[in-house]
Amino acid sequence: MSGHAHYREAHPLVFVITHYINLICMIMLAFSGFYIHFPFFNGFMGVARGMHFVAMYVIIINLTYRIIAAFFVKTATQLGSREVDTDIKNWLPQEENKHQLFETVKYYLFFRKEGVISAKYGSLQKIAYLATIPLTYLQAYTGFAIYGPTMNMGIFSGGLDMVGGPMNMRIIHYFMMWVFIVFTMIHAYLANIYNLNPSKIIFLWKETDH
Amino acid sequence: MAQEAHGALHDLLEVRGVTRRDFLKYCGSVAAMLGLSETMAPQIAAALEGAQKLLPALWINGGSCTGCTESIAQVDSPDVATIVLDYLSFEYFETIMATAGTQAEHNITKRVEEGGYIVIYEGSVMTGFEGRAQTAGTPDKTGLAILEEVASNALAVIAVGSCAVDGGWVKAHPNPAGATGVAAWLQKQNIKTPVVNLPTCPVNPEWIVAMVVQLLLVADRDVDKFVAATKWVTREYADEVTDASVSLLMPAGIYGQSIHDNCPRRGHFENGEFVDVLGSEQEAMGYCLYKVGCKGPQTFTQCPVTRWNRRVSWCVEAGSPCIGCGGLNWVDNNAPFLMRMSDMQLGGALGNVQPGTVGAVVGGVAAAALVAHGLGMKAAGRVGDGPPMETAKAYDRKRGAKKGGDK
Amino acid sequence: MARTVVDPLTRIEGHLRVEVEVENGKVTDAWVSGTLWRGMELVLQDRHPEDAFWVSQRICGVCPISHSHASAQSTEQALGITIPNNARIIRNIIEGAQYLHSHILWFYTLTALDYVNPLNALKANIADTYALAEAAGTRVADFGAVQKRLAAFAENGQLSIFTGHYFDHPGYVLPPELDLIATAHYLEALEMQAVAAEIIAIMSGKFPHPMTSIPGGTAFVPTEQKLDDILFRLLAVKNFVDTALIPDTLAIAPFLLGAASFGGGCGNFLSWGVFEAADNDPYKRSLPRGFIESAKGLTVDKVGPEDVTEYVAHSWYDDKTTGLTPDKGKTEAKYEEYSVDGKYTWGKAARCKDLPAEVGPLSRMLVGYLSGVKPVVEIIDVALAALSKAAGATLPPTVLVSLLGRIAARNLETAVVAQWTVEWVNELIGAIKGGDSDYFVTARGSDGEGAGLWEAPRGSVGHWMSVKGGKIANYQVVAPTTWDIAPRDDKGVLGPMEQALVGTPVFDTERPLEILQVAHSFDP
Repeated sequence: MSGHAHYREAHPLVFVITHYINLICMIMLAFSGFYIHFPFFNGFMGVARGMHFVAMYVIIINLTYRIIAAFFVKTATQLGSREVDTDIKNWLPQEENKHQLFETVKYYLFFRKEGVISAKYGSLQKIAYLATIPLTYLQAYTGFAIYGPTMNMGIFSGGLDMVGGPMNMRIIHYFMMWVFIVFTMIHAYLANIYNLNPSKIIFLWKETDH
Repeated sequence: MAQEAHGALHDLLEVRGVTRRDFLKYCGSVAAMLGLSETMAPQIAAALEGAQKLLPALWINGGSCTGCTESIAQVDSPDVATIVLDYLSFEYFETIMATAGTQAEHNITKRVEEGGYIVIYEGSVMTGFEGRAQTAGTPDKTGLAILEEVASNALAVIAVGSCAVDGGWVKAHPNPAGATGVAAWLQKQNIKTPVVNLPTCPVNPEWIVAMVVQLLLVADRDVDKFVAATKWVTREYADEVTDASVSLLMPAGIYGQSIHDNCPRRGHFENGEFVDVLGSEQEAMGYCLYKVGCKGPQTFTQCPVTRWNRRVSWCVEAGSPCIGCGGLNWVDNNAPFLMRMSDMQLGGALGNVQPGTVGAVVGGVAAAALVAHGLGMKAAGRVGDGPPMETAKAYDRKRGAKKGGDK
Repeated sequence: MARTVVDPLTRIEGHLRVEVEVENGKVTDAWVSGTLWRGMELVLQDRHPEDAFWVSQRICGVCPISHSHASAQSTEQALGITIPNNARIIRNIIEGAQYLHSHILWFYTLTALDYVNPLNALKANIADTYALAEAAGTRVADFGAVQKRLAAFAENGQLSIFTGHYFDHPGYVLPPELDLIATAHYLEALEMQAVAAEIIAIMSGKFPHPMTSIPGGTAFVPTEQKLDDILFRLLAVKNFVDTALIPDTLAIAPFLLGAASFGGGCGNFLSWGVFEAADNDPYKRSLPRGFIESAKGLTVDKVGPEDVTEYVAHSWYDDKTTGLTPDKGKTEAKYEEYSVDGKYTWGKAARCKDLPAEVGPLSRMLVGYLSGVKPVVEIIDVALAALSKAAGATLPPTVLVSLLGRIAARNLETAVVAQWTVEWVNELIGAIKGGDSDYFVTARGSDGEGAGLWEAPRGSVGHWMSVKGGKIANYQVVAPTTWDIAPRDDKGVLGPMEQALVGTPVFDTERPLEILQVAHSFDP
């Protein structure tokens, strides 16, 4: 929860940068995606398509790097702690979160008053963050599947047949963008609901004590 | 060597005053259409000239509007008279044959017995009303019986036009015609004759000629060779009438790329220059028709390259958005035609709802929920330093109470 | 008394079966059956009204332009749209080009084989052929080359589309030289019909199945280059019509005077009118609207959509749906065994003012003649004079109500339309010069009813549409074929083609050439 310190050990500089890259790419992807979906003003299609591709490649490389980095970059694994360990610990189940998933849900639905004990990332948070990884790759896959030069490759045409053609794939691609948008909204909201300290550390790399 | 070859065709050409040079030029264009190198032209010429007899063909109309027949009359090179008189011997061709009735039926029976022919099938396969949705010949012979008869002993069947490929507009909801395609029906009847599919409504005649020449030239009328030597794309679909998965064979040179990719207006798409109103100043500038519903990005045919009516124009050039007539189940899938594909209804469970609306609603609901939740958090006094924290997990407390201690 | 069935009746659009009873070498009774279900009206239910323009034209691959125009008009009426003047002219040009295409194709490719024997042309003397062509004022071709080509073709032994022909039938009466001229023009006609179709393709993307006359106007914006492409093609086709089609008709007709005495039919003629006038008045269209009732003699009455009813006693539809006007029409199939005493066709029996009505060029030319349309009156008078000279007696306009008249009327109409279409191109050029750049209106309602009544080359076409909440609530098509190949109605009155067949002489029931001649004259 929020009544704790936000130290740089929680978000080492390299992850602040990858987070920035994610944010910028997501904004570019969403904006250019909406434009490609419906060109709401004229004169931008070529740029929008270029932007969509560049941002996609960057975010995929960034994500892949982020996964690898999890195995050697050390970060805090507990709330408000300067004690560091390999980042992958944050990805795996942690003792502090055991039996807490249901309690976390109860907390957010106001069925309990006290905040729940958790590691740096709570159970729900961890699941949501982990889910974005395959979703991002899947989004790239659906994008390639509706992209002329690649759609006839076996790996993509198989997927097209499975979902019933490019139109359905396009709808899936479109809806998944909304999944990312909703994720981002909830993510920003929950991160900053108590105070803006989490934003200070992730964007400005500015530490705050409780 | 090819230059020395002489045959029936060569004599015919000489009679018609067609020079060797014209002929080779034509063979070059055939080669280009087939995706072969133009250096193949002499071989093509040799194959055509060496042919001793015209290839017998039966042109069968199923549930058709005769539009594909009309279309073959608009072929560019060679012209239709050449096809009908010098290439193929159409022993049955309802719309143009001299004879009728019993004699016409006899032409079919005789040819099927002798074999060595191709079938060009136009129109949908009509299974409705127990096959009585289409009959021809006595006594009340159904179109289905005719198709089975002619396909059983043919070298190959060329299904021309979207109707013959998968039922075309006739299969659109909720027509009780029971329309399906040639490939689906032959599969159901376990007739193994290869079916070449040439969709669009009507068929583009240049594509029929390309296939016929391919069969005559590369393959010497040998169908196995023909199938092996042509590059194909296959399209799978679930046929409602036969209740089976059908795999459609189409020549890749014609159906491998989207209209959008080859569209002369593509540059305007990339520049973001669009026609917002049909027949407007923007149309006069030749801008992209994507916003008024063009299905070019979703339709895989060679229309912008081959063009129509002896190559004078094609749909987009004349100012109309592509309606995707070369796609499968094209009316149900592509209408409303003036609506962009991505605006189109999801259909089924969601009724008339569009993806954009769904997305906006989902986003809006999420935003509203977060605001409401935030107010709740504020009311609960959690904002600021956060809630008072538990000192032990609820699970452990319960367990502790039960067992009398933590861990 | 013998029953003869011709099925398939070839050289038509779609599938047709004709059953006749022959007694003493003459047809005494006839049943005409359309053997193909379409279902178009059902497909259009609940779709966007604009989509009908693209879908409904696919009823017919030979006259899709006219169906698309009738459909667009019904949408425009229903949604309260008035199209811009440029769009009106462009549609007229496209329609005109289709008339030229269709009539040329019909005469030389579909019906000529009932009269012209290309194998007989092998016997023609080339010098005599040139002399005959000159005397007839018809177009000269390289007749020697055509004959050589035919000879090579015949020697090959594979007769292609002529396999199983009836060319030894005594009904083929033309001299070899005329057969050769007609065959040469048959080959040229194949080229010319394609040139006419190119005009449509330039303006509407492709033919068949045009794209641009979208409800609201047209999506086609002409450029200088396109106008030029249209005009030079049009002049080439017009030249062929004036120098081949018309002289050929006048040269062949004297050999077929017998055909002036049968094949007339019901004598009621309907024309919805075609080629829109600037004020959208159907009675001022270039070929105007009108109905000629046999019992009243040669006078033209006004006629409207409310005069149409469709009967289904002899058609494969539910009897409950009989006698409806198309705006309330229903398409409820009910298939049962083919029986000439019961139900025997997929076609409904369309009736105008409760009478069977012939539609097509003959109807339009008669209505135009009686309405005093100048070019129509002139060309019919010229043709009647030529025929009278050949027959050695003065022939009245009523002689047109026959097999011969029906063929002649169509060819004469071609010449009139060719002239008009050139004028429309000039009108369009004038309008563009005058600064008119409107082609399409987007504003439209979402509810209403419309009846697009128009004329295809082969006859009257009507599309009825009602729109509720932006979706098609009901759609009905009464196609030209619905009129001409109509079966008996509920009162047992024969349809127009059935009536025309009755009285037709049949020389040999195994080779029913005369039945083909009469059926083909309707271009079903």
